[in-house]
Amino acid sequence: MDNTNLNKEPFSLEKVKTQSEDELFYFVDNKSINSERITAPRYSYWKSVFRIFFKSPLNWVLVGLFVLILIMSYIYPATTSFDQFKNLSDPTTFNLSPAQAINKFGFSFEYILGTGASGESIFLNVWFGARTSISLALACAAINMIVGVIMGAVWGYNKTVDAIMVVVYNIVSNVPYILLITILVYVIGHGFIQFIFALTITGWLSIAYFFRNQVLIIRGREYNLASKCLGTPLYKTVTKNILPFMTSVIMTILATEIPSYISSEVFLSYLGVGLNADIPSLGRMISSAQTSWTTYPWRFWAPVSVSALITIILYVLGQNLADASDPRTHMQ
Amino acid sequence: MTKYVLKRLFFGICSIFVVAFIVMAMVFTAIDRETIFNDDQQISKLKYNELTMYKYRQWQKYGYLEYNLYSNFVSDKFQQKYGENYTEQDEYKEAVSCLNDENTYQNNATVKEFITDANSKKYEVIFLPKVVSKRGILQSNPVLFAKKERSTFSRLGSFIKNLIKVETIWDVKDDSLTDRYIRFQWDKRSNMPALVGSGTTHKYLIYFDNRFPFIHQNLVHINLSTSLVGMNAGKDVSDIMNESTGNLVRKDQVYPADIDEENPEYHLVSDDYHTVTYSENASDDDIKKYGDKYINASSLMSGFSRLNNSFVIGLIAVILAYLLGIPLGILMAKRKGKISDIIGNIYIVFIIAVPSLAYIFIFAAIGTNLFKLPYNWGLASNPTAAFILPIVSLSLPMMGALMKWVRRYMIDQQNADYVKFAKSQGLSKGEIFKKHISKNAFIYIVHSIPADILGCLTGAIITERIYQVPGVGGLLTNAITSYDNGIIVGATVFYSFLSIIAMILGDVLLAKYDPRISFDNKRG
Repeated sequence: MDNTNLNKEPFSLEKVKTQSEDELFYFVDNKSINSERITAPRYSYWKSVFRIFFKSPLNWVLVGLFVLILIMSYIYPATTSFDQFKNLSDPTTFNLSPAQAINKFGFSFEYILGTGASGESIFLNVWFGARTSISLALACAAINMIVGVIMGAVWGYNKTVDAIMVVVYNIVSNVPYILLITILVYVIGHGFIQFIFALTITGWLSIAYFFRNQVLIIRGREYNLASKCLGTPLYKTVTKNILPFMTSVIMTILATEIPSYISSEVFLSYLGVGLNADIPSLGRMISSAQTSWTTYPWRFWAPVSVSALITIILYVLGQNLADASDPRTHMQ
Repeated sequence: MTKYVLKRLFFGICSIFVVAFIVMAMVFTAIDRETIFNDDQQISKLKYNELTMYKYRQWQKYGYLEYNLYSNFVSDKFQQKYGENYTEQDEYKEAVSCLNDENTYQNNATVKEFITDANSKKYEVIFLPKVVSKRGILQSNPVLFAKKERSTFSRLGSFIKNLIKVETIWDVKDDSLTDRYIRFQWDKRSNMPALVGSGTTHKYLIYFDNRFPFIHQNLVHINLSTSLVGMNAGKDVSDIMNESTGNLVRKDQVYPADIDEENPEYHLVSDDYHTVTYSENASDDDIKKYGDKYINASSLMSGFSRLNNSFVIGLIAVILAYLLGIPLGILMAKRKGKISDIIGNIYIVFIIAVPSLAYIFIFAAIGTNLFKLPYNWGLASNPTAAFILPIVSLSLPMMGALMKWVRRYMIDQQNADYVKFAKSQGLSKGEIFKKHISKNAFIYIVHSIPADILGCLTGAIITERIYQVPGVGGLLTNAITSYDNGIIVGATVFYSFLSIIAMILGDVLLAKYDPRISFDNKRG
């Protein structure tokens, strides 16, 4: 600022008394550039989001746990290999509890959670399965969110699209979800990519419908009317006026979407329409162990607690990130 | 309002048929039709043309196609021409044996007639030549037939045509039955009036008895498609849902023929005489026992029907969830940020994030180990106690979801302007909560009440399977895994109907609860 020369020396009354009027007062030019400058603190949206997010120690703990899970389910499986039928020829290795397994094989992380129905290591199976589950959930959520948000924005903004899509939505939402997935999985196969396709083919519709309602609400606001009067093109209204408004809503949906796909995989495996048998998955571990959950509890509780841990962490992290991404919390 | 509801209902029913069409198209065209033989034991026993014809017979039964056999065509034709002894005619023998030569069979006049007839009806003619082994032994007879694939439209058409059936006195095609009527009559078995028919399929069209829901009807049947596979083969969707479960019950009863006597003889039988249907070939013994030819009765069972099991469990769970979930949600909103709110939030996160399969097993483990509750429905010594775990397992997650929404809406409403105004007017916190905030927050809750209650009729897939409850939850999933196409379509139509009714009821309830909402103008 221009008053910097006043701050050069400390103010003293003695000195002022000895100065003349010319020395004391001088003209300041009216600088047009300075009058345009806004003296607000610097604000960066994403910086503020993460500042608020990492303020809470709980989030540090959760992020730490999540990184640990990612390491265990992505890096750890890369360093080792998992063969479900490694011990198939030795029936004494079947259904061993953790204590028995350590007695048999000696102490190693591989057998710290006991063995399954064909002697496979539960510990390895859980982490290979977790990798499948997390990848599946992230892929499905990403596809659904991208398609859902774009389609929802178009749906909400265009009246012709709206009229058609509402009818389509009303009809498709009445087709049972399980039926659709079962038939799709049956026709196109049980592979990983096919499974993602089956889960997302109609999954985006409900997200798009939700967004359509949000867009309908926001589109009628006065600032959008003003923007329209000033001649802002449609795509710019959607991308600049409406979507930034909904970052926290997108985050909230994402927080429930990701865990819900992990649950879906478990549920569909339980019904017998899960992934291929050669892809390790938490869902199939749970469903294959559920008949023997009282006799061999470790086979059941290990995948259940890992999937519960992943879903809870993802959900709470997502919720907290959604809270942090709401600009109203940034002023604290 | 009425006009609006009727309009919604009309569009809803139209969309049900569209859904039925989509599901039929998916089920009958997307899935390879060979899959229906996956678990079929017959397949391994049959060979050659018999195998092919068995498959076609099954496909016709499942509704994939229609076919006409040449052999039936020949018999019909010559029976008309020569009467009873048509099989002795040379012309008939010639028409049948010509098929043995696959090169010249088309020169036969009857075969030509069959093929032109088939072509005019747009049927596709298929000829399976005889199969002879290397040693010259005949393995399989030749077959000539014409087939036509059924289109989804014709399937939908016959589905709609057969959807509702009302019993009439001309249902029984027996010329010996001369006395045909429908009238009200005093039913001595229940000591109540009953609508009784003669000439109808069922004898008792409307009757009362001491079994839930006490009044029963056989007058109108909703035919949602018939099952073809497994234990339920031949039964309709509604039959499967209304089928009683449990064990046979024997009761001291009077035979229907003796009911008018003063001191009738009692017999220990398990027949439910109210369900009798007509049988043309009833023996004299039966007629002596029943008084007429209505002799086929279903058995009395100890348990509720499947639908009843699911509905009772679901309804109690919904009531419990609302009774506990709403006050707990309000409590959390009132004490936001305090210890009870934090505990509630942990519970909500647990319910939302953890896979439902996992927490139902956690509830089951707690219930069986700590409270010694029966786990398996069929093995439970106390039938009432068997209800507890399924109800709790259904109710707790529903309660969590309700708590989440009640809390959210209450907190949103707390910041509304009218609350600040009420505060500034000096109203106490309790008064504001009771009279103003909760009233406005419940608007959002009211809409989902009909959906929750009607949802009980669809049953709970996981809960019922884990506790082995004989309910309707597994209807669709079992049908899918056994390729029971009829049930898939029927169950889907039933579920869509429920969801449309629930949506309309929800909107009506909303308009009744909140006078600001009106459907009479186009804003709604």
